[in-house]
Amino acid sequence: MAFYVVYIEEAHPIDAWQLPVNVKQNVLYANPKTLAERTAVAGACIKGLKIDIPAVVDDLRNTTERAYTGWPDRLYVVDPDGRIAFKSAAGPYGFDPQGVEAELERLVPGVPPSPAAPPATG
Amino acid sequence: MRYVLWTVGILAGVYLLLLGGVYVAMNQPPQVFSKTVAHVPMPAFRYLFFAPMWLHARQGRLSPGDMAPDFDLPLHGTEEHVRLSSFRGERPVVLIFGSYT
Repeated sequence: MAFYVVYIEEAHPIDAWQLPVNVKQNVLYANPKTLAERTAVAGACIKGLKIDIPAVVDDLRNTTERAYTGWPDRLYVVDPDGRIAFKSAAGPYGFDPQGVEAELERLVPGVPPSPAAPPATG
Repeated sequence: MRYVLWTVGILAGVYLLLLGGVYVAMNQPPQVFSKTVAHVPMPAFRYLFFAPMWLHARQGRLSPGDMAPDFDLPLHGTEEHVRLSSFRGERPVVLIFGSYT
């Protein structure tokens, strides 16, 4: 199985809806205006949260996020036929790593999933 | 008594308008939603049924069984790209959507 973080537009940028927890954790970023900026913030995220899952970066038109309604965070499992096997409810309330694990157990019985999904980031 | 009923009615109307406004905002693009709801005081969220409205507004169009929309995105830290459809016939793929903030 393959795991990918899909890095999308910011959930709580300083120029929109910054939360007190962002200030407390010093995770303060404006919404990137270029792909290079988004890639840089993604890098900070990967480093700051010690993410060891490969990450792909959505374009500035947020094409992939819009197709998957992925904002602010969401989990999907795509089966080997290319079909949606599992779709979590929208984060933060619906971020459901256990649901992913259960679906992977169904798709690949007896094989433990690779690294656990990172904590919801936004 | 009538004064009380009028007051309750007006307050209920304002509350329903606020709920409706928040739900409409939830159906806007994320940055529009964020800039709108940033004006709502945090304690008010306790009374806005935020979670159930959010889960409904952000359902999206995809359902289990649908073909997963393909993408071809840059792989961070490399010069490579990842195309989702390249995994067809091979293995399942877990997608974790999110951001740092």
